[in-house]
Amino acid sequence: MPAEKQPVPFRGAGFDPTPRRFASWIAFAGILLAWQAASSTGLLPELFMPSPDAVLSALARMSASGELWLHLGTSIRRIVLGFLLGAFAGLLLGLAMGIFSMARAVGLPIVSALFPIPKIALLPLLILWFGIGETSKVATIALGVFFPTAVAAKTAVDGVARNLIRMAQSFGTPASAIVWKIVLPGALPGILGGLRIAASIALILVTAAEMIGAEYGVGALVLGAGNLMQTDKLVAGVVLLSLMGLAVSFGIGLLERRLLRWR
Amino acid sequence: MRARFGIVAAILAAIATPAAAAEKASVGALAFVSSAPIFIAKEKGYFERQGLDVEVKFFQAAQPIAVAVASGDVDFGITGLTGGFFNLAAKGALKMVAAQSREEPGFNFVGYLVTPKAYEAGFKTVKDYPGKTVGITTVGSTFHYNIGMLADKYGFKLSDVSLKPLQTVPNMVAAMKGGQVDSILLPANQALGLERDGAGKIIGWVHEHTPWQLGALFTSTSNTTAKRSTVQKFVDAYVMACADYAAAFHDRDASGKRVFGPKADALIPILQKYVKPEPNADQVKASVSFIDPQGRLMVRDLYNQVAWYKAQGMVDASADAKTMMDLGFLKQHLDLPN
Repeated sequence: MPAEKQPVPFRGAGFDPTPRRFASWIAFAGILLAWQAASSTGLLPELFMPSPDAVLSALARMSASGELWLHLGTSIRRIVLGFLLGAFAGLLLGLAMGIFSMARAVGLPIVSALFPIPKIALLPLLILWFGIGETSKVATIALGVFFPTAVAAKTAVDGVARNLIRMAQSFGTPASAIVWKIVLPGALPGILGGLRIAASIALILVTAAEMIGAEYGVGALVLGAGNLMQTDKLVAGVVLLSLMGLAVSFGIGLLERRLLRWR
Repeated sequence: MRARFGIVAAILAAIATPAAAAEKASVGALAFVSSAPIFIAKEKGYFERQGLDVEVKFFQAAQPIAVAVASGDVDFGITGLTGGFFNLAAKGALKMVAAQSREEPGFNFVGYLVTPKAYEAGFKTVKDYPGKTVGITTVGSTFHYNIGMLADKYGFKLSDVSLKPLQTVPNMVAAMKGGQVDSILLPANQALGLERDGAGKIIGWVHEHTPWQLGALFTSTSNTTAKRSTVQKFVDAYVMACADYAAAFHDRDASGKRVFGPKADALIPILQKYVKPEPNADQVKASVSFIDPQGRLMVRDLYNQVAWYKAQGMVDASADAKTMMDLGFLKQHLDLPN
């Protein structure tokens, strides 16, 4: 009989992400410092990559001349408009596909067929339909946002625990109340996850949409700087895009915390 | 059997020997008629005679050629001059050494094309550009500069013209056919084609208003120091081809109309071999621009171009045109600034 006790070491540590507030900042600063050092010492020629210092001064110059705000404002308007349109339509279709069998039978194959089409490939068509003005740019973004939102909404509705719905039904709750009080809140985390992806797609597509006929916008700035070989402005534009990405991610995080407080 | 093998080996050796002795060089070019001197120098053996084995590498756009020369992937480049080119050159990477096409009075090259609708509505001269929408390829392209020169010459503000970057010439043509822009600029061959189809009206040619040095042969700054003799050989062969080109394509009759004689007919097949999509003889004749017979650059004009791009904020304020060219490979250039 095993009478003696064997000491058991604690093995439960790790695999438990905890916030490390400063680590990310330190890593970021380290990369920037190394980059600046490589530029300053001439290890990284200005011809191939501008120094962080040059990028910052490009940003400062554009900000002083007002050019920066014009580009940012134009792009943000396009993104917000396209995102709202695409997300609203995508949510409607996605929820309908999640709730109604008929909508699913008709919609799902169509969405699945159209989702993988690169929206950038459709750009010439969109320009034929909507011209080279704002409409085609907003439409490109809206299309890009529509599909991931629709798929996420449908999947999220599918994921709502059926036993909750059955329980509500056994209490005689009307169908509309079940949708409002159980299906929608239950699907919300999934929907917000989908919107997070859709927002990133909107940012990617704004650059593509602004390839054609755009005088202003962050995408137009990046492309124009590329055409002019103004690498400092180009990297400045890329920094703007990534800052916009961070802002969107932060905004959706805020939305998640507010809307999902019930969890 | 053995004897025959010996003959084959001897022939192979004979073929291989001069090739091995020749110095290798590469040139980046667009498959356009404007790259003609390169094609002529290669086909007529001018490069070979200078002891160079030149490989022509084709690119889809002008910009990547300048980048490839700057990075050393090709030794020479020949393209139109753009804001992007000047920015690379301003960083000390590139040097212009000889001329490519220029807008020369009497030689149609790039034309201003307006939609029939805009034409009917009174858009009949280049002075009518203010308030109009114009399709261009990209910011800082030669088309952009053409409109900028008009603005300077006729005293209107460039900001009064709405310039739409559409990335490619086919996009520009589509936007014009769709009525989304009032005007585009196109090389003669395409402009005339669109006018024939009734898709546009040509309201003038760039050379009638603003003659300028449109393109150049260039190399990397390191080549002009480390491989100076190679550059000299290349330029010598290039200039011989320029002379052939000018003798064949620059003739005009008493009324100023261009005429194409047997020398042109002899060169056209060479161009057809390289230019994509392959043009017919008439298309070549509509496309051959003016190239200086001695490959001389209009130097003062290049200074003006750099000054314009700097004034627009498209080229860095510290850029100095003087450092972007090495004029020592030709006996003389044109129009030297004091």
